[in-house]
Amino acid sequence: MARNRVAIVGAGMTKFVRRAQETAKELAWEAASKALESCEMTLDDIDAVVIGTAPEAFDGVHMKSEYLSDGCGGWGKPVIRGYVGGGTGVFAPIQGWYHVASGLFDTVLVVCEEKMSSCQPHPQGAFLTIFDHTTERPLGPNLLWIFALEMNAYMTRYGLSKRDIALVSVKNKRNAADHPAALLGDPNITVEDVLNSEVLAWPVQRLDVSPVTDGAVAVVMAAEHVARRVTNKPVWVEGVGWCLDTAYWTNRDLSYPTYVEEAARMAYKMAGITEPRKQIHIAEPYDPFDYKELHHLEGLLLFDKGKAPEATALGITQRDGDLPVCPSGGLLGVGNPIAAAGLMKVAELFWQLRGEAGARQVPGQPKRGVAQAWGDLMQVGTVIVLGV
Amino acid sequence: MSLLERVAHPDQTKAWYGEIPIQNRYTAGIAGERFFREIKDHGRFWGVRCPHCDLIYVPPRLYCERCFAQLEEWVEVPTTGRVHTFTVVHIDLDGNPLPEPRIVAFIQLDGTDGGLVHDLGEVDPEDVCIGMCVEAVFKDPAERRGSITDIRYFRPVG
Repeated sequence: MARNRVAIVGAGMTKFVRRAQETAKELAWEAASKALESCEMTLDDIDAVVIGTAPEAFDGVHMKSEYLSDGCGGWGKPVIRGYVGGGTGVFAPIQGWYHVASGLFDTVLVVCEEKMSSCQPHPQGAFLTIFDHTTERPLGPNLLWIFALEMNAYMTRYGLSKRDIALVSVKNKRNAADHPAALLGDPNITVEDVLNSEVLAWPVQRLDVSPVTDGAVAVVMAAEHVARRVTNKPVWVEGVGWCLDTAYWTNRDLSYPTYVEEAARMAYKMAGITEPRKQIHIAEPYDPFDYKELHHLEGLLLFDKGKAPEATALGITQRDGDLPVCPSGGLLGVGNPIAAAGLMKVAELFWQLRGEAGARQVPGQPKRGVAQAWGDLMQVGTVIVLGV
Repeated sequence: MSLLERVAHPDQTKAWYGEIPIQNRYTAGIAGERFFREIKDHGRFWGVRCPHCDLIYVPPRLYCERCFAQLEEWVEVPTTGRVHTFTVVHIDLDGNPLPEPRIVAFIQLDGTDGGLVHDLGEVDPEDVCIGMCVEAVFKDPAERRGSITDIRYFRPVG
């Protein structure tokens, strides 16, 4: 199948904060205009707009992307919203990619926004109704139950301790201390801090979890002939993949994300990657919870099943390790404005691969990275491979 | 199949009642904050001008949706305008008749490229027409909360 080559040529983001005074539109505009500025483009140069944003309930606005559209640069343009829950932030650039790869458009502005602080008393309320209304909701489940059950299944399957997993939270929150947009960077956090934090639903504790966050991120995607004109450092989209597992969490192996593996295999095949452990230099897996980074690293085939914790303990996933993982600081450190958090990972790869990540720059001039997000009913994997 | 048969009574099928228990706390935003403060404190409207597109936005915005420039040229605009279009509402959301019909209009504010949707007051439905000149009537300063309902309604001028 003939496809046009697509590059990311610009990126921008707001600071990730606990409660933004800005409206959702204003946040989206700030990120979108920064992304355009970063590649010296204007709205006139943009052919189409892709908007990624998670549940309506967060912002409390139905038809949320229509509401957001002017802040995303959508006035008078073809606009589409993609939505795969928490997986949206990596799915939006995939949509941007096929808008351009198909030849339909030369330039696409991809904007992801989330304002979770609107949702009262806690955004988790938005998830109380994701469960089956007949078999599950009468029990009063909430989102933490899923994570706690998954985390316990993962720990028990591979004989892992809480300490093994807490190392991820420590790494990412420390990495985030170098991110100017981060909400929860902490250069001094320790494993003991994580282990001593409040138990929410065992084994999940407060510092195992990413924070409620407001923020927006945008990237500009362009066809090769435009990309080469706009920048001498285009970051190419080499592969994309996404996959949904069953909606019944009672019919999934909760200790392994098969759907991430399927999505990764699709993306790797497109990118011509046969040995991901050698060919991927940076990974930004989705880390709303510390164990999820480990889970996803295994799903991305970067470590054997159950072996990502050992690699973390050995320092392999540190910024200066053999495979830097979440050099941005991830959702645990930078923050988790759902859709925006996923696109933040893509923006991080963009900056890292261009050597523009400042204090966060991983050494050794990385050439290829993978970003991944996860969501929907905890059963979607979205994967993008970028390279220079 | 149940879909093909008429379910004459709700109790014939097993059912639960539930709700989506969400509340939201909205901010007025950077531009909205100033717009509503002016209404609350001074009973006046401010808009913001895009010099590039030569448009005055009311309600004001932080950015121009057309050229994406940040907008900083704040201008006071009249509290008068014209009825661009209107409707006369006779029933509430539950379908019950309203005690008095309610006139709702889109009012294009004078000297601007925008306007507000609001109630019309001090006028009978049969006397309203498109193009009619109207002015904002504000609540007493002590009653204002920095909300769009600080405007009581628009009424005909003269």
